[in-house]
Amino acid sequence: MKNKLILWLLVVLLLVVVGFMAKDLFVSKNTTKENVYEYDLKELRKVDPSKISHEEVKQIKIQAKELHGIAIDSKDQIYVSTDEAILILNAKGEKINSLKVRGEARCLTIAENGNVLVGMRNRVDIRKPDGSLRNSFLIPGEKAFITSLAIDGENIYVADAGQKIVHHYNIDGKKIKEIGGKNTEAGIKGFVIPSPFFDLLMGRQGELWVVNPGRHAFEAYNSKGDQISSWERTSMSIEGFSGCCNPANIAILSDGSFVTVEKGLERVKIHLPSGDVKSVVAAPELFEAGTIGIDLAVDSEDRIYVLDPVKSMIRIFEAK
Amino acid sequence: MKKDRRDFINTCFRFAAGASLVGVTGVLAHKTVSGNTLWQIDTTKCTQCGRCATSCVVTPSAVKCIHVYDMCGYCDLCGGYLRPNVKNITTGAENQLCPTGAIKRKYIEDPFFEYEIIEDLCIGCGKCVKGCGAFGNGSLQLQVSHDLCVNCNQCAIARDCPSDAFSRVPADEPYKFSGFKTNKKI
Repeated sequence: MKNKLILWLLVVLLLVVVGFMAKDLFVSKNTTKENVYEYDLKELRKVDPSKISHEEVKQIKIQAKELHGIAIDSKDQIYVSTDEAILILNAKGEKINSLKVRGEARCLTIAENGNVLVGMRNRVDIRKPDGSLRNSFLIPGEKAFITSLAIDGENIYVADAGQKIVHHYNIDGKKIKEIGGKNTEAGIKGFVIPSPFFDLLMGRQGELWVVNPGRHAFEAYNSKGDQISSWERTSMSIEGFSGCCNPANIAILSDGSFVTVEKGLERVKIHLPSGDVKSVVAAPELFEAGTIGIDLAVDSEDRIYVLDPVKSMIRIFEAK
Repeated sequence: MKKDRRDFINTCFRFAAGASLVGVTGVLAHKTVSGNTLWQIDTTKCTQCGRCATSCVVTPSAVKCIHVYDMCGYCDLCGGYLRPNVKNITTGAENQLCPTGAIKRKYIEDPFFEYEIIEDLCIGCGKCVKGCGAFGNGSLQLQVSHDLCVNCNQCAIARDCPSDAFSRVPADEPYKFSGFKTNKKI
């Protein structure tokens, strides 16, 4: 009887041991391992709400495969350049016209007289307000890659990210000079453009503001091509511009402050003319992580138009 | 039909011999195939989860950060070298993102800096790769260094990899850099 009991106990013990071994062999342990080397980018995407000065008031969905640029004319009509056309919307966001373009319209700007300037890879088209072609010219150079245009009367400024220079043309397509080339005697360091984001615009007093993205800098030039002012802000925090080359695009408010947008940390901010940050318009959390190619425009009432190419929409922000 | 014991034993032996032959052929075939292939990371799938640093049977890991210099922007504010929100862009240890200080920063000319990976110090954690991808152009990439990898039949990191980024690649094309033409270690 005693032997039988011991035998049964041994069998139970054996079963327990086999059970433990089977569990160890076949049941996987907790697979959600903690990453001890975590680089948490989420923290960088947070912005103190007290620093956000604007709120999103409207979204306009755009039907296009790719969105490249946005501009607003003096009547607050909205122009959006896509891979196929220039879409023209009224101030309410209703489509009123569409202009076919020869190639991908990477950037555009609107002259005071309503002419539409469109930048393709190495070509600038100037269209009259009715859409007909007024003039067109090519930027020479195998590496030419136009990323932004500005117009001041008869003068056209072309940002060429491929050749890392600003070309100054007249409206008839005659080249006048180059601006921003390295010139140590004149104190011009030259443009550093690691990726194809190189923006420029006209300031309130006719000066040309050009982003030097590799230096996180803004540089102002007069019509002779002399550098008359500059500032730079390098920082991953909101005080400056992050990453290898930012800001990616800019716009200007009526008080001369700059609206900026970055890639990497997709955030829209306002910087004072001195360069100091004033406020945040849109925090990174409003955008899909990895969104590249956000463009900006400002209307007559200082509303900020953000072209979001990933969500395929224009997002309008107003001061709170 | 009833078999006698002798027939039954004969059949069993034949079956065992056949099975052994198939097994041995299979093992040899597998060894031949894996002998011509190596483990490598698909950088487009890699999420820099950190497991390459902790799961490899080799210590420190055979996975290393490799710098594709041709893609690098030689940035001053390098997201792969500097911690986020650094006050000063300097080589101070407090500013460096790499937990082992495996990245060497060298001034080239204004405003360019070169970043060199010290392979002996790199543990393959991928922090710098994540920073470079988020703020730069992704020239820092995690790859299995074949000088160090022992080419296990079942790679321990591949088993733990949450994004299925490990696969066997032909031995004559042992690296899988993304955004760059050649797949040779530089």
